[in-house]
Amino acid sequence: MTTIDKLISELEHIAENPRYAVADYLSKTGSKVVGVAPVYTPEELVHAAGMLPVGIWGGQNVTLDLAKQYFPAFCNSVVFTCMELALKGTYNQLSAAIIPGMDDTLICLGQNWKAAIKDIPFITLVYPQNRKLSAGVKYLVSELENVKKELEKVCGKEISEEAIFNSIDIYNEHRKTMREFVELAAIHPNSINNVQRSHIIKSAYFMLKEEHTQKVKLINDELKKLPEEKYEGHKIVTTGFILDSKEILEIMESNALRIVGDDIAHETRQFRTDVPRKENALLSIATQWSEIEGCSFAYDPFRIRGKMVAKLAKDRGAEGVVFALLKFCDTEEYDAPILLDDIHDAGLKAVTIEIDQESGSIEQIRTRLQTFAEML
Amino acid sequence: MYTMGLDFGSTASKGVVLKDGKEIVCTAIITSGTGTSGPERVKEKLLKESNLLESDMEAVVVTGYGRMTYQGAKKQISELSCHAKGVHFLVPDVGTVIDIGGQDIKALLLDKNGNLSNFVMNDKCAAGTGRFLDVMAGVLETEVSMLGEISMMSKAPVNISSTCTVFAESEVISHLSAGVNKEDIIAGIHISVAGRVAALAKRVGIKDKVVMVGGVAKNIGVVKAMEDALGKNIEVPKLAQLTGALGAALFAFEALNK
Repeated sequence: MTTIDKLISELEHIAENPRYAVADYLSKTGSKVVGVAPVYTPEELVHAAGMLPVGIWGGQNVTLDLAKQYFPAFCNSVVFTCMELALKGTYNQLSAAIIPGMDDTLICLGQNWKAAIKDIPFITLVYPQNRKLSAGVKYLVSELENVKKELEKVCGKEISEEAIFNSIDIYNEHRKTMREFVELAAIHPNSINNVQRSHIIKSAYFMLKEEHTQKVKLINDELKKLPEEKYEGHKIVTTGFILDSKEILEIMESNALRIVGDDIAHETRQFRTDVPRKENALLSIATQWSEIEGCSFAYDPFRIRGKMVAKLAKDRGAEGVVFALLKFCDTEEYDAPILLDDIHDAGLKAVTIEIDQESGSIEQIRTRLQTFAEML
Repeated sequence: MYTMGLDFGSTASKGVVLKDGKEIVCTAIITSGTGTSGPERVKEKLLKESNLLESDMEAVVVTGYGRMTYQGAKKQISELSCHAKGVHFLVPDVGTVIDIGGQDIKALLLDKNGNLSNFVMNDKCAAGTGRFLDVMAGVLETEVSMLGEISMMSKAPVNISSTCTVFAESEVISHLSAGVNKEDIIAGIHISVAGRVAALAKRVGIKDKVVMVGGVAKNIGVVKAMEDALGKNIEVPKLAQLTGALGAALFAFEALNK
């Protein structure tokens, strides 16, 4: 096994076995773990408190049973599976969960969590949609102050300004490393396949960021040693909320569709925007929200997401775009018509596939992706 | 040179034998789809009726829902690409293809060379599909093949929901209980199907000529309702249920000549 294969395999193992990774952290550090729900959370505060922030984005092929008591049938499956896993005790390693009220469905997840999951305290956080106004930033600072207070109760100590700034630096370094990784993966499409790319990104949700940065930097170093690669298939970019299903990524592989860039909330949107340095740490984190662009959850009167995706595709030499539309995610669905028009106007082909974490049936997705590959 | 195209759908198996990529030698339809004896029977029927042997086929391409499980084909190609290819062969100036099958609705946009430039499919829902009409025919105690003809006698079609097969079924039962004429209920069902399919088709764009294929294209009531919903004339080729298999046979011929 080569050095790069070993590194990738290590991160793949973590991405596929998050419970073991978290258990390992707990046994080694004796510290605590805090769940961070979609889409954005101030992970830096959890990190500064000496705890591990762990992403809770549902899971694949989870059979829904208990969660049906809390949501109507037409709720997106990430929220459903998060609730189901919480109710079944899968998240019992968590000492608290931050669930931001970014849209109506996530607000309901927070409320239902508070009512039903008594052992894992819910920490509320509301991101303002008037995010570019100074009043919006000021409001978010007050929300972050509350999150900080709640986290201090969990960790039992004060979270210092210095510690938060230190965590911001660690997170920005991670973001920079991840941006470099996705660019290197794009020019080495034969060395990094769709599943590996997904696992490398996903593993960051279950590790301390400084440790993940170190591993990914080593992968980047190995990739830099290789010459640029020509891919004998179709290069594509992806957009959407989440696309971590191994089965779907493998269907792309079998149709010679290689991901060379993404605008997925669960992937690149997490590390696309740095936290800027401001006069205090909470203001720095709050300002990042006002600088995020091209995300369906961040109000944008100019609707530039489609243009950003088209530019990404052109910059990376991609022929088309796969829109992984999370079923019943109205926030993403409202973006779809403008997004797809902008992609088509840029002369790119696009296909929409419906993501449902609960469903194991992928034949329709296979047909769509095969047709898309044939069309390219 | 003979090539064979096989289309294993959810409710029927279809096949076409083609000579030199130009001449349709034989066609066959068996009303049993993937996972049944349909795929084998349709192949046997084609060979019997064409007086040809399997070894006479230079290449076989398979498409449809059952394409991935069938052994012995040169290639598996998606039914959307095959329908586009097959329809363009029959109607060279086609712009939009609407295919309503047993459990899928598809709308295809073709460029002037017959290449697929965009497409949409229904999501996991039976509303507007052939299965929807099967369910309704059952409630109405009518053969599904008779729905089109009966609906043409309607004077006042009823309003039926296009959102859900189960809800639509209960609406039909309510209308029957209220003594509404069957022809008006069936015409309402067709308008409901057309409304759903037209909304989907408009997402890819409607470009002349509009061609309808798939088993449901045999239903004149749905075709007329689709014309009203789109405000366009719709052409239905004689081989409307076989365009997927025809496209597959054409792809098989192309593969040999590459």
